[in-house]
Amino acid sequence: MTMNQNQTSRRHFLSRLAMGSIPLSLAYLSQNRASAEPVKPNIGLQSFDLTPKQTHHEPKAKAMISMFMQGGPSQMDLMDPKPMLNKMHLQKFPGKIKYDNAAEASSRIMGSPYKFAKHGECGTEISELLPGLAGIVDDVLVIRSMHTGVNNHGQSIHAMNSGRTQKGRPSLGSWLTYGLGAETDELPAFVSLTDPQGLPVEGVLNWSNGWLPSLFQGTVVRPVEPRILNLNAPQQFTGDSQENFLNLIRRLNEKHRAQRNRELELSARIANYELAYKMQASAQEALDISQETQATHDMYGIGVKETDEFGKRCLIARRLVERGVRVIQLFTKNQYWDHHGSLKSRLPASCKKVDLPAAALVKDLKQRGMLDSTVVHWGGEMGRLPVIQNDTGVENFGRDHNTYGFSMWVAGGGFKAGATYGVTDEFGHYAVEDVVNHFDYHRTLLHLFGLDAESLTFKQNGREQSLLDGQPGEIVEGLLA
Amino acid sequence: MRQSFLLSVSFSLLSLPLVITADDVLYEQDVRPILKAHCFLCHGEEGVTEANLDLRLARFISQGGDSGPAIVAGKSAESILLDRIESGEMPPEDKTLSPREIETIRRWIEQGARTASPEPESISDQYFTSQESQFWAFQPIVKHAVPILRTERELFSPVDYFILAQLRSKQLEFTDKAPRETLIRRLYFDLLGLPPSADAVEKFLSDDRPDAYEQLVDRLLASPQYGERWGRHWLDVAGYADSEGYTDADTEREWAYAYRDYVIRAFNQNMPYDQFVTDQLAGDELTSRPYKDLSADARRQLTATGFLRMAPDGTGSGGVDQMVARNEAIADSIDVMTSSLLGMTVGCARCHNHRYDPVSQEDYYRLRAILAPALDWQAWQSPSQRRISLYTQQDQQQRSTIEARAQEATAARQKIIDQHIDRTLYEELIKAPDELKEPLRVAYKTAAADRTDDQKALLKEHPYIQNISSGSLYLYSRQRNRRAMDIEAIADQRESDAIAAVKSDYLGSLEDESLRESLVALLAVAEEDRSDQQKAMLSEHEALLVSADTLTRYNADEAARIAEYRKAAQICRSTDARKEMEELQKGIDEIRAEIPREYFIRALTEPENHQPVTYLFKRGNHSSPADKPTLPGELEILRSKVSVSIPENNPDLPTSGRRLAYAKHLTSDRHPLTARVMVNRIWYHHFGRTFVNTLGDFGQLGERPSHPRLLDWLSREFIESGWDMKHIHRLILTSYTYQQQSKRSSYLDEIDPDNRYYARQSVRRLESEVVRDAVIAVSGQANNSMFGEAVPVMEDGVGQIVLGKENLDGERKPIKGEGLGTDEHRRSIYIQVRRSRPLAVLETFDVPSVAPNCTQRSSSNVAPQALLLMNSDFIVRYAELFSEHIQQFGGESVTDRISYAWQRANGQRIDEDTMVALTEFLENQQQELLNSREGMPADEAEQVAWAMLCQALFASNQFIYVD
Repeated sequence: MTMNQNQTSRRHFLSRLAMGSIPLSLAYLSQNRASAEPVKPNIGLQSFDLTPKQTHHEPKAKAMISMFMQGGPSQMDLMDPKPMLNKMHLQKFPGKIKYDNAAEASSRIMGSPYKFAKHGECGTEISELLPGLAGIVDDVLVIRSMHTGVNNHGQSIHAMNSGRTQKGRPSLGSWLTYGLGAETDELPAFVSLTDPQGLPVEGVLNWSNGWLPSLFQGTVVRPVEPRILNLNAPQQFTGDSQENFLNLIRRLNEKHRAQRNRELELSARIANYELAYKMQASAQEALDISQETQATHDMYGIGVKETDEFGKRCLIARRLVERGVRVIQLFTKNQYWDHHGSLKSRLPASCKKVDLPAAALVKDLKQRGMLDSTVVHWGGEMGRLPVIQNDTGVENFGRDHNTYGFSMWVAGGGFKAGATYGVTDEFGHYAVEDVVNHFDYHRTLLHLFGLDAESLTFKQNGREQSLLDGQPGEIVEGLLA
Repeated sequence: MRQSFLLSVSFSLLSLPLVITADDVLYEQDVRPILKAHCFLCHGEEGVTEANLDLRLARFISQGGDSGPAIVAGKSAESILLDRIESGEMPPEDKTLSPREIETIRRWIEQGARTASPEPESISDQYFTSQESQFWAFQPIVKHAVPILRTERELFSPVDYFILAQLRSKQLEFTDKAPRETLIRRLYFDLLGLPPSADAVEKFLSDDRPDAYEQLVDRLLASPQYGERWGRHWLDVAGYADSEGYTDADTEREWAYAYRDYVIRAFNQNMPYDQFVTDQLAGDELTSRPYKDLSADARRQLTATGFLRMAPDGTGSGGVDQMVARNEAIADSIDVMTSSLLGMTVGCARCHNHRYDPVSQEDYYRLRAILAPALDWQAWQSPSQRRISLYTQQDQQQRSTIEARAQEATAARQKIIDQHIDRTLYEELIKAPDELKEPLRVAYKTAAADRTDDQKALLKEHPYIQNISSGSLYLYSRQRNRRAMDIEAIADQRESDAIAAVKSDYLGSLEDESLRESLVALLAVAEEDRSDQQKAMLSEHEALLVSADTLTRYNADEAARIAEYRKAAQICRSTDARKEMEELQKGIDEIRAEIPREYFIRALTEPENHQPVTYLFKRGNHSSPADKPTLPGELEILRSKVSVSIPENNPDLPTSGRRLAYAKHLTSDRHPLTARVMVNRIWYHHFGRTFVNTLGDFGQLGERPSHPRLLDWLSREFIESGWDMKHIHRLILTSYTYQQQSKRSSYLDEIDPDNRYYARQSVRRLESEVVRDAVIAVSGQANNSMFGEAVPVMEDGVGQIVLGKENLDGERKPIKGEGLGTDEHRRSIYIQVRRSRPLAVLETFDVPSVAPNCTQRSSSNVAPQALLLMNSDFIVRYAELFSEHIQQFGGESVTDRISYAWQRANGQRIDEDTMVALTEFLENQQQELLNSREGMPADEAEQVAWAMLCQALFASNQFIYVD
């Protein structure tokens, strides 16, 4: 009902614009859709935009949805089976362990309480805790040899999300939108979907533009209404009064511009009112999942207590990608996967929330033909240790941090499907074969987006900065389809 | 549009280290920069010569390494160097040289691998070529003669002749002067960051003195708001913040504001720039110890050193690696110092020689050694140790006198509290069974440690007695009505018991059993039902008629006790101990409020006789110090131009004297960068672009000056005027160049789209603080109070950063913030700069993040800005206030009010056309509101429409841009 009204008044407004004497502002928008130069180092250039950019080479991926499982999901209980652990359950760990919390450390091995089975045609082994993932495993690449090598949440999050362990740098999404622009002029290019129970560790830094211009910062779509700030007209703007208001601004602005011929900045700002006006409706529309069928709702687990919230966000993510948003990142709440204790009761609960919706997202993208051009990522900043933490009774057992070998999965966008990559040692502590460092992953990811990690740079403090920042990242051929 | 893309391309080309122009390719100027950027790290620097190949001299390249000569002069095809580069083998990994760079190297070899001048016998890591030495920015500042030109225009400022000379070389001329309405608005925003008032505009328009404009410039330069505007520019480069940054917690940084206020005052007082710089680098070295009873000068100088305390600093936070955090804070301080004062990007030399500029790693550690006595990573002053109290002897005395009075009052209050405790104890004991009263009292009065187990048990059973204390007194007081009723209930009970006892005793004393029975039966008859005969009979047995009033006749003891209860109840009910205690406490607080507040400054100071040894850190890693110490000193390239000696220890000072010597050197009249960098900066803020439009980078990667002679002339003028900033302002502002109109033309855009040559002024968007300040000023709400503690920011319920005192519940979620009163209308410079929490309205309009500082702001043009101006609480609220202001001061008629509003918002008179547009809007909008909202009263629709009109004025480009 509201939608219809909005659409009517939107058309109304746009038609009035079109009848206006100078449709130049709209022309500005449409012309800007044309490819601009690939991003190059620049000096003193003070103006940036989100128009689509020419990539360095032909891209496979056009968009990315990253589900960031903050806290560190336990790989040996989810997607990296280690029979040796069950064989040696409660025995002394024979090798060297890197603990984070030495006070609660024990050297006794903890076998996984969960059963693994082969799934799909590819036969990838997945734990019983992730039936959703098991169902899509033929479209998924499980990477079992991730490595950041720094055992703290904050630093490892920065490694995964902004390329280096220190904070203050631009996030992955900022780099991608800086390098690629956006495919939409009605929605933000880079969106973060946060958890209603709070921000992940490192909070807003997760989608910070760092020293890139603020244009490339992630826009937070909030977990509660209003999902985008300043998106709703103030309540006193009833009927067509906002259109009248914007028409007045346009009239004033056109007159102002007419006296300042050739001042492009002014035209761009006039266009921004149109974009903002469109965003009011289009962002609202994009975020309105009531337009989806009941079948779709069911598929994402919407309406089911455990999965309702995350399912809604996954569905919103798909709707945003459909509408040309470049990067969407979903976050779990602070330390959601940080199971230092009581893993047996907490890990299944964590899985319940995200597993089915995440799988639904992949299925949905696939059935809509969008998976090929959309990277889906599921993973955190670390995994967990093979030994017991909190050795005070089996119900209390947990696992400590492990960034030397952990798992995550990716799907679509040119990643290999129906496979696993990399191997950890027989206890699952260290990645031992085909190690994928965060910078390798980033370089590969940029490559799929048609970007060359060395050439995507920004001048800051007198030097050309890049996502990899000189780290020896490689394009990991084994990850590519 | 095409133009803007072309623009970006041309900028990109500029970013390449050197563009091949002349035919001659020479090692120093053409080839070395390429190899330096890509190859020296492994082939020459820091003693590293992989494959025994050193590329730092052409001679070494010809000699070659393990694979033989790297080049054969004249024969590029036989040169291994070129082969390795072209095959992509070198540089290793994924780095490649651009085709253009490879072509340069090929041509150099083909032309015979020539050098510009003979190469030195041997070179160190600090070697730089004569080409590097001849780089423009390191040359002395020369006062060139003002060009002599014929022109029809009246040019008053020498600035104009330099500008015009260059314009003419491009076949350009000045454009017309801007009208006065434009000039006054431009000047106000430039100098004050605020729109001119309608009165100011009218006054200026009707001022027919020939020097009306110059007078206006002088008036504005003398305004206290000038310091707030220009101080803000300096705070950007100093990286001013009210929080420590570095960690997530982003702890608040108390007392930083004293530095902000110092900067504002320095600009307002037109403090000579050399003094400004010296204060900030070495104010403490100019101040005698101990830092007590500070004179105004000493206070100013110590406050100024806050400049070197502005960097993000995690050393006061838990959970950080202290050594890393300290070294980061030092590195950031060096970045702040060098990017602001030298306009050089020295920071990369922390880990290796600068890739483009002649700044060696050794140079970097020389600068670090200058700061080392004050910023010693191995003897670190934590943030709390840096505070210097501004308390004077007199303040101390005053404090102890007042404190003594407060103590007296506290003792008196305690006495009264003790009385209340005794009374309360009495009231509680009275309720206890008689046999327990004394044991309970004794147990309570016995010190807790001395109580017997029985006493402890007894008290445990009677918590209402055990719990009486000065801390809980208010609870007993709050319950006093109930407690009085409890006592009365006991009194009532005892009374009826005693009366009954009197009667039964009397009856028991009768010997005649039948009489006793008939009396008992008689007593059972209700009093009003008794016959006269029965009454007469009873009157013979007086004791049976006993009542509360007559009880004392029969049981005087018990009657007295009951009276005690009643009295206790009455006192209990009527005594409000809580109120009395609060009032007494208030009195004590009032006394203490007279204690003069203790203020602090966050300063940078050196311990006495502290000269730590500085070592170069290999690859910047503090756990790999070099073997030999590094002595304090200026960058080698500058030292070769201006002789300077930085002492390790100046025996005449209690401090090392290093920073003072460095400051003196920087502000000597011969330093090639200090004056240029500042003059360049001043020009930038007047025109929106400047001679070297990379404000923080005067090096290879920065721009070459567009007007080198004018830059030098102004810089010399700056120095010779005694580093007089307002003098430079005047030279610029009174120039014809500045006063031109800002209109573009197709001809001009073809030749100079970026306005590098100033054939016009530029249209500029207001900066974030100015947008907010202008909205508030126009709305009539501005609170112009200056200085002092920052107006706090907080996260609101939806996660936006707004003004307010943070108030968190037990789970650290925000609850409603406390009101700020008129503080919320203060200027943006007084708003807390919390690094992780930029105020939403400022952030949307690109307030820079300071990590560590900002040498040049960027300006975005995005939809969220439009959304903010359309829909945010901020803009709606100030639009309503503006509209109320208009109703009150804008006259009676609609046209009067509209023209008042327009003039107020835009500093100019409204034209006919706009008047029509606004009037129509007002009418239509009222009608639309009435149509779309049922039952809306007409006067409310009118008000809302006015507020919308005001909001449209704020949201229009006219308001946000300056011509």
